[in-house]
Amino acid sequence: MRSDFNPVQISMLRRHARAFVLLLGAVVVLNACAARTVDIEGTYPSPNIPPLPLTLGVYYSEALQNFVYTERSDAGKDEYLVNSGSSHMELFNTVLPAMFQQVVVLDDPAMANERGVDAVFIPNIDEFQLGMPQKTRLDSYEVWIKYNMRMTAPDGDYIADWVMTAYGKTGQETFGSAEGGINDAAVAALRDLASNFSISFTSVPDVRDWLQPRLQ
Amino acid sequence: MATNNTRAGLMRTGYYLIVMLIVGMSLGACTTTTIDEFRQGDTGIDSSESIVILGRRQGAAYSTHADFVECVGNRMGRGNDAITVVPEQVFVDALFPWFEPRTAPMRSEDLQQLMAQPLVTDKMSEFGIRYMVWLDGQTETSNRMGSISCAVGPGGGGCFGFGSWEDDSNYEARVWDVSSHTSVGTISADASGQSYVPAVFVPIPLIARVEANACNNLADQLKQFVKGD
Repeated sequence: MRSDFNPVQISMLRRHARAFVLLLGAVVVLNACAARTVDIEGTYPSPNIPPLPLTLGVYYSEALQNFVYTERSDAGKDEYLVNSGSSHMELFNTVLPAMFQQVVVLDDPAMANERGVDAVFIPNIDEFQLGMPQKTRLDSYEVWIKYNMRMTAPDGDYIADWVMTAYGKTGQETFGSAEGGINDAAVAALRDLASNFSISFTSVPDVRDWLQPRLQ
Repeated sequence: MATNNTRAGLMRTGYYLIVMLIVGMSLGACTTTTIDEFRQGDTGIDSSESIVILGRRQGAAYSTHADFVECVGNRMGRGNDAITVVPEQVFVDALFPWFEPRTAPMRSEDLQQLMAQPLVTDKMSEFGIRYMVWLDGQTETSNRMGSISCAVGPGGGGCFGFGSWEDDSNYEARVWDVSSHTSVGTISADASGQSYVPAVFVPIPLIARVEANACNNLADQLKQFVKGD
């Protein structure tokens, strides 16, 4: 059998192969040390509630759009990066159109007047907590989120400002990995937010006072 | 020669002991199930009507597993006298946000208030729901005993030891009549059983099917209850 490579080429190939293996090893070691990223993904049903005859503008701040929670180990090292910004926007984009006759997503709250909306809704995340089984000694992953909800008139005047909390947990039997457990608990928390928000919205005192003359 | 006979005899006795141990454990790994029924009203269901089985998940300490709810639903939906069971997740999603852990009705009286919502009534009619069954309970494991050690060497490997535990399932099913907004009865299922894992070279799991038995017995009783038998 005739070889297609001369000794110089073979030596070069060996060197490249060694470098590749070293590089692969370095990548594996670095990956093992790096924090793992969890992009929250889920589907949210549309609420079965009668829509309010209003046009609502919604503004997603950059803080909400790019919200990332960092879970640190006891030694202070980053363990998990939980990205939930896009999932929050997906949730509000599903829930709000069922609650209002028309919903307009605003790139800037200052555009509210020219877009002809009745009010502007600005959701924000104040706090995010994650309960991991290895830390809580419980058989479940838990997510707790505190929100600040704000509603302003198209000219920026105050309508309402209130706090909401959401909680979700996943039983140990349902998750195969830590990432899966965190995702499922976060999706449960987002569902909890959607159900509570859609049912209690008209009961928020300042919102109720603002709505009363508009619904008569 | 005499030594060889003694060794063979000892080995035979060892095998008999292992076989007897396994037979004994198999008999021991049985499940005891108790079903209690409390009827508060008449029941009956047409072939065009359906039921939905929902798990209670309000408690902080535990939540009813979706697998158990699915098991009871599957069992009720099988056989000659099968009942149409709407899958839990399909129902909860279709009636969002009214049956989430935080918003679900806790008492049958709350159902009346909920049914005042035209969108809820429409969805219920669409599914043809006649009865709503609320399942509440869990399976707990206790009395874990023993230990099994396994080792691998150049000549092979094996395990030796013994483990056992007890499973206890307690579930309660409350049946609400959607047409009259009343509670028509409660069925409870208590099942318990001991599981064993003897290991002589190979671990032999002798598992008591506690939750499966609780599911089957509860589903059979629920089916009879709903049909009014």
